[in-house]
Amino acid sequence: MARSLAGFLVLLLVVSICEAASLFQPVSDSHRSAALELFTPDHGSFKSLEETYEALRTFQIFGIEKKPDVTASACRSISETVGSSTSTSKDLFYALKANSIAECKIHETASKGIISSLNAAVSAASSLLDFYYSVGGLVLIKDQSSKDDIHLADAEGVFRSVKAFSQSDGRWRYSSSNPESSAFAAGIALETLAGIVSLASSELDQSLISTLKNDISKLFDSIEKYDDGTLYFDDKLVDGYEYQGPLSITSSVLRGLTAFAAVTTGNIDLPRDKILGLAKFFLGIGVPGDAKDFFYQIDALACLESNRVSIPLILSLSSAVLSLTKKDSLKVRVTTVLGSNAPPLTVKLVGAFSSVSKDASLVESQELKFDQGSGLHILNDLLKSIDVGSYTFVFEVVLQEPEDEKVYVMGSQTKVPIFVTGLVKIENSEIAVLDSDLGSVESQNKLDLTAKNDVSLSANHLQKMRLSFQLTTPRGRAFRPHQAFLKLRHESKVEHIFVVGNSGKQFEIVLNFLGLVEKFFYLSGKYDMELTVGDAAMENSLLVAIGYIELDLPEAPEKAPRPPPQPVDPYSRYGPQAEITHIFRAPEKRPPQELSLAFLGLTILPLLGFFIGLLRLGVNMKNFPTKPIPATFAVLFHVGIGAVLLLYVFFWLKLDLFQTLKVLGFLGVFLVFVGHRILSHLAAASAKLKSA
Amino acid sequence: MRKFWVIFVASISILLPFLCNSFSPEIPTDRRVLVLLDDLAIKSSHSSYFNSLKSRGFDLDFKLADDPKIALQRYGQYLYDALILFCPSVERFGGSIDVASIINFVDSGHDLIVAADVNASDLIREVATECGVDFDEDPSAMVIDHIRYAVSETEGDHTLIASDDLIKSDVILGSKKITAPVLFQGIGHSLNPVNSLVLKVLSTSPSAYSANPKSKLSTPPSLMGSEISLVSVVQARNNARILISGSLSMISNRFFRSGVQKAGSTTKHEKSGNEQFFTELSKWVFHERGHLKAVNVKHHKVGETDEPALYRINDELVYSLEIYEWSGSSWEPYVADNVQVQFYMMSPYVLKTLSNDKKGLYSTSFKVPDVYGVFQFKVEYQKLGYTSLSLAKQIPVRPYRHNEYERFIPTAYPYYGAAFSTMAGFFIFSFVHLYNK
Repeated sequence: MARSLAGFLVLLLVVSICEAASLFQPVSDSHRSAALELFTPDHGSFKSLEETYEALRTFQIFGIEKKPDVTASACRSISETVGSSTSTSKDLFYALKANSIAECKIHETASKGIISSLNAAVSAASSLLDFYYSVGGLVLIKDQSSKDDIHLADAEGVFRSVKAFSQSDGRWRYSSSNPESSAFAAGIALETLAGIVSLASSELDQSLISTLKNDISKLFDSIEKYDDGTLYFDDKLVDGYEYQGPLSITSSVLRGLTAFAAVTTGNIDLPRDKILGLAKFFLGIGVPGDAKDFFYQIDALACLESNRVSIPLILSLSSAVLSLTKKDSLKVRVTTVLGSNAPPLTVKLVGAFSSVSKDASLVESQELKFDQGSGLHILNDLLKSIDVGSYTFVFEVVLQEPEDEKVYVMGSQTKVPIFVTGLVKIENSEIAVLDSDLGSVESQNKLDLTAKNDVSLSANHLQKMRLSFQLTTPRGRAFRPHQAFLKLRHESKVEHIFVVGNSGKQFEIVLNFLGLVEKFFYLSGKYDMELTVGDAAMENSLLVAIGYIELDLPEAPEKAPRPPPQPVDPYSRYGPQAEITHIFRAPEKRPPQELSLAFLGLTILPLLGFFIGLLRLGVNMKNFPTKPIPATFAVLFHVGIGAVLLLYVFFWLKLDLFQTLKVLGFLGVFLVFVGHRILSHLAAASAKLKSA
Repeated sequence: MRKFWVIFVASISILLPFLCNSFSPEIPTDRRVLVLLDDLAIKSSHSSYFNSLKSRGFDLDFKLADDPKIALQRYGQYLYDALILFCPSVERFGGSIDVASIINFVDSGHDLIVAADVNASDLIREVATECGVDFDEDPSAMVIDHIRYAVSETEGDHTLIASDDLIKSDVILGSKKITAPVLFQGIGHSLNPVNSLVLKVLSTSPSAYSANPKSKLSTPPSLMGSEISLVSVVQARNNARILISGSLSMISNRFFRSGVQKAGSTTKHEKSGNEQFFTELSKWVFHERGHLKAVNVKHHKVGETDEPALYRINDELVYSLEIYEWSGSSWEPYVADNVQVQFYMMSPYVLKTLSNDKKGLYSTSFKVPDVYGVFQFKVEYQKLGYTSLSLAKQIPVRPYRHNEYERFIPTAYPYYGAAFSTMAGFFIFSFVHLYNK
């Protein structure tokens, strides 16, 4: 729990990031618009009567004209609940609470029935919540109807039985069987007891009241505190038990306290700064986004606004940033937490401390002038004596009427952080390249830092570069900005940043390139230069390009550090890649077809020559066998040769090797047979011829 | 025994809606979100953001970050689809959660939102570092900009920054332009330049720097200029998405509602761009946008419809696939002109942009290269803000068979002619030789 509280503190600090002196603003228009946003009825009505009450109450506090359809539907559900005999005292309580704002007509008989049932509930009550709902219901009926005859029969007895739940530390228990005590229950109990007091027919025993006041101050002793001075109530987080959170607990205590203070006559003695701390707690949380939390905040603030103990006053500034050039005047508003006007009072500026040197106040104590029309306290000529910078102003508020002192509470001193801004004069700005050994100026350029400059310089690693300028505040004093950077950016986007130091008004930076060679990663080339001068108090903060310097640095040795990788532009990183098409192997180069055909013709020529030769030789077929059988074999032999040649043609055209060889096998056998017959016949014929 | 049955059936019927609604590849939007807070007050101070999530159907489970009962998984099953860490100051998580378990959660494809703030704890910094984001190490440093700050009545230290330097991506920030500047107050971070998965969504102007506003600077600030990122997102390779913001307050109701006026400009916006910025960004982080799927990956020869087992060199083929984008409730056709397919063996041989028919079907046709081997059809689709598609399909490519070459080559006619004239001569010669007298 402690950790979560620390977290809450962080949140608070985030909400108001300021110095130790934080500024709290009263409820503003953003609350009003948030109220309308958060409490939007679902189909014209709210989910429960409790929610209806919270919405109506919030609208009432803000004075927002409630929408008629909300009231109508609220009235319907109120009269339903009131008329029903099965309604619990809790339902009746919230119905009556909503009715106290909606002001619907409740039937006479119904109201009588409620009174009797609530009275019965009071006498039968055993836990704190039972008492709370039933007594609360009776009080509401009494307030709404003009009848004065509603009394608790045994007010003192009921009072004592409720008081029995109280613990020694000021907290209360929910019931006698539950040992856990809580501050939330204390708030409920106080509200209940206040109801009992108002319902009592006769004066209650004063000793009872005074012990209760004692309990209240004990309860306030256990208040918890944040570092920025805000106070709140909290309960220990117990497992399996409905934990409420600091907002609702503190709100409950405040409601109880307000109700109780309203019915008692005497003074309730509470430290006044605690009330103020509670007010700061509720203002510090800003605008809650949850309807319930929003109601708790606004209801508690309304209690603070109207309670009888003490009403806190909040000091706020219309602007914490004052401009010297616009001659702004210091405007302070003192209001209650809900933003209504405070009683007549005077606001004094007690001191103004610079955030740099916190020793002496810079201004005399002076009173702010009250402007009747705007309700503001104004100090006009303050800025004549104050220079630019950040300050903490200390205000004191004194009420004019001494009676008001008892009613209102105001912190003794309020510290407010203030920024005074103005135009800072920039003068004598120049940039120069120096020779290292002699310090003689090689080239010097005047700069105008209000506009873009276009200086081009060049230097090698033995030289230096000097940039200087002067800053003067409007009051003629030296000004030291928070941000005075010189940036050198190489072409490869490697950046180097140098802080420009100062002595008095004079700002100067000398870059000795010999010592910076390693830092610059031995990268020669163009470096763009940019000067940034900025401060919260400076209205003319600038970021100005000076130009570039061409550096000639030595070659990097092998072990020199490499420049860090630079981020890749995300837009180019995901771009589509260039298309790739495959380059196909080019077909082999061929001679033109005519050439092939010409050579084809040439290959036929030897055959033609052969034919011509044969004719010239006078070939004949006289040796052809004349007998039928050898002639048949001769014909078959040549048909066979022709078939083999034809087979070769077919082999070329379509057949594969296996088919060809198969056919060739048969043809070969045939050829051997017929060839043998014809050749042996021819051989025998020629042998016969020789022998003859 | 009957009692056990009753418990069993009851627990199934309770769990069933969760089991059905949980994260799945078919419905990539997250459903169950664990929100870890420093303090329950954040639930109310940041309620606009939470309500916008709830209204989009997310089931938010709010827990304190040091609650001893929190756990991300039980019995090896993750209980949540996404995690929101709105606990900048937590030193140690309660329960079984630590940095390693958060990283495992992301590694298994779940989403994460981290919001840090000034004085962020080492634990939150460590989580961010694991995601490739380095917050400024100075614990009290804030981002300051003396030139582009937001004009404020109450704050004069220029730590409230109005930035309109947003990433130009419709898928991350929605198609509706964010006109009002986004308010920021918190710490800056830098991105690791070698990490290609992390993107700057909101960056600063060149005049910004990160330093403690209350102390004077003597050394250059560690972060400066456009190097500073205010809000970054990570899209992991497993499509898990991470959002890292250097400011928790910029998500608060106060910043959502607050008006904004940039220094030096006269236009005053009624409402800052924060609400639109974070609503759109959460749509992206929780996969309501920019989540792609590819289905029906097909390829075949031109003129055929069946997918062959292998291709021959120089075949003409058609490759097609369908890409859909998840719109939060249904899969819509995805239209883009930069989806590319690679025909890949060791290196891409063909890389071609696919044409689409505006209904999600992407197709192209090309000729198989004249190199044989085992190729892959590869689609490596990466686009800023979209989940990446990485598809690969293996396919062998064979050379020509012996009978698939060209048969009668004109250049060879002289050879044919020579052979046949010799054969004819031989035939004639056989007569002349045998029968001449």
